[in-house]
This record gives sequence, structure tokens and C-alpha cells, in this order.
Amino acid sequence: MTKRERSDTLAIQNSTGLRSFRDILFIAAGFLVIMPVLGINRTTDFIIFSIFVMGFNILYGFMGRLSFGHMLYLGCGAYGMTLFTEHVSRNPFLAIIASICAGAIVGAILGPIVVRTTGACFALINLAFNQVGYFLVVVAFSKYTGGEDGMSVSFSKFGFIDFSNKPFKFGFVLLCLLLSYYLLRKLTSSPYGVLIKSIKENETRVKFLGYNTFVYKWITFIISTALSAFAGALSMLNYGYVTPSFIDPSRAVEVIFAALIGGAGSLYGSIIGGVIYMAISNYLASYIPRWEMFLGFTLLIVVFRFRTGVWGYVSEKFKGCTKAMPVRTS
Amino acid sequence: MINTIAYGLTIGAILFIISIGLSLTFGTMRIVNFAHGLVYTIGAYLLVSVLPFVRNNFILGALIAVLAVIPISYVIERFVIRKLYGVSIDYAIIATYAVALIGIDAIKWIWGASPIPLSDPVGIDVSFFGITLPLYRLIIILLALIIFIALSIFFKKTMVGKIVVAALDDKDAVRSLGISVDKYFTYVFVIGSSLAALGGVLYAPITSVHPYMGMMVLLVSFAVVIIGGLGNIKGTFISAFVLGMVMAITGRFWGPAAETMVFVVMAIVLIFKPIEV
Repeated sequence: MTKRERSDTLAIQNSTGLRSFRDILFIAAGFLVIMPVLGINRTTDFIIFSIFVMGFNILYGFMGRLSFGHMLYLGCGAYGMTLFTEHVSRNPFLAIIASICAGAIVGAILGPIVVRTTGACFALINLAFNQVGYFLVVVAFSKYTGGEDGMSVSFSKFGFIDFSNKPFKFGFVLLCLLLSYYLLRKLTSSPYGVLIKSIKENETRVKFLGYNTFVYKWITFIISTALSAFAGALSMLNYGYVTPSFIDPSRAVEVIFAALIGGAGSLYGSIIGGVIYMAISNYLASYIPRWEMFLGFTLLIVVFRFRTGVWGYVSEKFKGCTKAMPVRTS
Repeated sequence: MINTIAYGLTIGAILFIISIGLSLTFGTMRIVNFAHGLVYTIGAYLLVSVLPFVRNNFILGALIAVLAVIPISYVIERFVIRKLYGVSIDYAIIATYAVALIGIDAIKWIWGASPIPLSDPVGIDVSFFGITLPLYRLIIILLALIIFIALSIFFKKTMVGKIVVAALDDKDAVRSLGISVDKYFTYVFVIGSSLAALGGVLYAPITSVHPYMGMMVLLVSFAVVIIGGLGNIKGTFISAFVLGMVMAITGRFWGPAAETMVFVVMAIVLIFKPIEV
């Protein structure tokens, strides 16, 4: 690498650092603005869902693998958190770390089976595992998980760290979102990020270049499952209880819709999609009785007209203003 | 035990009738069609609403229900599926799921969300070797056999069938012979959808009719299609009956595990024989 090239790379890195800092401020400001409008409970919910969508999008948007059973990993986090708190320690931070580990371990175990497949096969095998996981939670291990009724736990408090305090919870969850955004941003703009995007475009070529694509796909899968488990743990923390709906495979489409509406393959898009989807399912359901139909038509329009989602469309329209935004293709 | 086997055969027969359409669309168009479960549900609902008008004549009602599904499936094919040929499989999954969502909501709008029970249309039990079985189930198994034989002949002997089989193998080669493949795909799609509706009509008296009845069956028939091989009639036939037996036997020993067991089998099959789509 010549000196010139190095300074170029440094400049790029610096600008990415600056840009992600600006993005983080922007996201935080956005959620703080909508917080008084939607109410603190809902906004917390929206933020957690956005984390889940990001975790899903790293697999779908960046690596091009559509999973139809991502609720399994969310459920892993939620149930991991509950069981850890119940049996090991009431410290919420330890429990979150444990549930992320639980998601990562499940991803690491299922990964070698799952990531070898592509397309429909990948989607359906995830769905199959999700169905098995649902069964295990609701029927087979109902003694430990509370079965259909679910179970609730309480967390210990230290000083100002109190997860029954709503503003504190909101702040904590927002911080988690910003942290995961920052990490994913770093990850996707690194050479590794370029590589997983290349796997989406043409895996055979990446193999020809001498990369062991299996390892990269496996790692991406684990990152995605761990992040989904993180979201699951946070939503369990938010509600204070866990029910089988956290792992219900029929809810797996929600996150797909959110990723698609926002724009697959961009982190901003994930957050926007998460918020839009939650707004549709939360508000529209109370105003329009036929909101599922509305959602269906929205999706058809997205699939046939706006493949890049809301964020892709917006950034295309205002290319000048958002030139700094990453709609880079590898 | 023999009762369990008979139950397994019934489930297998219905699974076969439903999965055929899925297998053909999956095989020819490379589309995972979530709207298939919708067509199945619509078939059952149409039967429920037609029955009072035909003085509870089940055969006539079933016939009307299956025929009425043809225009619906044509609309789905023409305006959604056809636009998805050659597009990424993810979009196909999402678009057909959106169609299913719209349809299910429409069903809830028209017929309401509560389950509608339906009685056994034959109501006669036959007993042989000391066991009694409802005649209706035997008819279903027989019907599946007839459909299997008819489809085998259709794909071996008729021109349309031969073109579809060729297109399953190599679509572009068929197209380069000057044959409009898409037109034949429409036929295949409509045939598959009407068979799904028939499956819904036949299964309705065994369970109850409710808006989400299609989704669960759809997941199981995906398993059937994947195990049996895409577009493979014989493979679908065998795997439908095998999975039917798996469901019946698991259900006998541990009821709630019946459907999960199907997915376990599917996962095992996929581990050893990954399909390329």
C-alpha cells in the first residue's frame, strides 16, 4: 500500500467514523422526537423491534439469505433471559449477556446445517427449526417455560438502575439500539461487510477468489441470531414476562415485512422499516379493522414497485442530499 | 393400530392432493407459493356456503366449490405470479404471502373468523376384519389414487403434460422450440389450485373450517414437496403418504408432536439432500 493509498483509506475511515457518529445523533434525535408523540411504552417497543429488524437485515439484506423462522432466535433470547433470571441470577445485565450467548450458541449449532442452503430451502429449513423450537417451548418443556401461559420474572435493582422505571428503560433500550447500529455500521463498511455483500451477488466467484465462504456465512448467521436474541432479551425486559408469542413461527413474517418496507440491505432502512411496520400494526389495527389486507396490498406495491423500500426510494430521490449515505454496491 | 394406519392414509391422501399443485409450481416456476394455502381455504369456505343451496348434496357442492376456485386462481396467476417469473425467489415468497394475507382477511370479512363445523357427508361406517372405518375416508384414499393415476397419464400421454414435464427439466430449451411456456404454466397453476381446493373440500368435514386452516397445511405440504422432490409426481405421492403415516403414528403416541415431527423429518432430509433452487 503506497502512502497515498494509505492516506486515502484513513480519510475514508475517518469520514465513516464521523458519518456514523452523525447517524447515531440523527437516530437518537428521531426517536426522542417521536417519543412524546407515540408515548414512551410504544417507542420502547418500536426501538426493540428495530434492533430485531437490523439483526434480520444483516442476514437478508446484506447476505441475501431470507430466513422464514427468525422468531426462533428472538425467542431464544427472551426465554434465555427468563430462565437465566429465574434460575441463576437476578442481575439484568448478566441475563442479557447470557441470552445473547444463548442466541449465538443456537446459531452456531444450527448454522452449519442452515447456511449450506440457499433461497427457498434456507427459508423453509429455518421455518422448520422455528416450528420445532415452538413445540419444545410450548409442549415439551412446558414445565420450565410455563407453556402457553408463559412466565414472568422480576429483576433486581441497583441504585438508579431500575428496569421498572419507564424513562430509564427507554434510555437503556435506545442506547442498545445505537450501540448495535454503530457495531453493525462498522462491520458492514469493513472488508468483511463487502465480502458478505459479494456472497449475496455471486458466491461462486467469492469462492474462486480463495475465500472460505462457509465460515463467513456461518459467522454472519451467528451475528444475526445473537442480535435477534438481544432484541428478544430486551423485549422480555420491557414487558417483564415471556409468552410463546415470542417464538411463534407465524409471526416470523413481521420482521421480513419490516425489512422489506424499510429497504433491505441498509441499516437506516431497517430502523425506518421497523418503525413503519410497528406503526401500521399498532395504530392501523385500531382504526381500520381490515389492516391485514392493507398490509398485504402495501407489500405487493413494495415488491412490484419499490424493491428498494422506503429508504432506498428516498435516498434515490434525494441523491444529492444523501450522497454520504451508504447505498454503495460492492 | 389399524385405525391409526387408516388415519395416516387419509391424511396422506389429502396431503398428496394439496401438494401436487405446490410441487408443480415450485418445480416449473421456482416459486414458493404461499397463496396455495389460501386457495385451499377458499375451497372449503365455498363448500360451506354452497351446501345450503344444493340441498346438502356434497358432491354437487364440492364440484361447484372446485370450479369456482378456477377464476380466483387464474387472477392470482395473471396478476401476481406471472410477474414474478425469473425474479429473486425472496420476492416471490413475500408477494405470494401478501396475497395470502389479503385473502385470509377477505375471508374473515365475508365469513367471520369463528370456525364452522361440518358433518361427515357420507356418514356410513364400513367394518371389515373386525374394525369399523368411516366410508368417507376410504373414498378420500381412493380419490387420491385416482388423481395420482390420472396425473401420471396426463403427464405421460398428453401434449400439455409432456410440455410441462419438458419445461420442468429445461425451461429455456422448451421456449426456444417456439412453445409459449408461460401459457402452459398457467394451466399447471390452475390445475394445481383446483386440486388444492379439492383438498380443502375433502378435509373440511374431518376438521372444522376456519380462516387459518390453510397455513398449517401449507407448511406440512412444503415438507411433502421438499422430501418428494420438486415437480416429481411419484415422489410427492410417496412422501405424502409417508408423512401422513408419520403424523398419524406420532399423533397416536404424543398428540401435539404430530406436526412438529414432520418438520423434524424435513430437516433431516434437507441435511442429507439439500435442494438447489
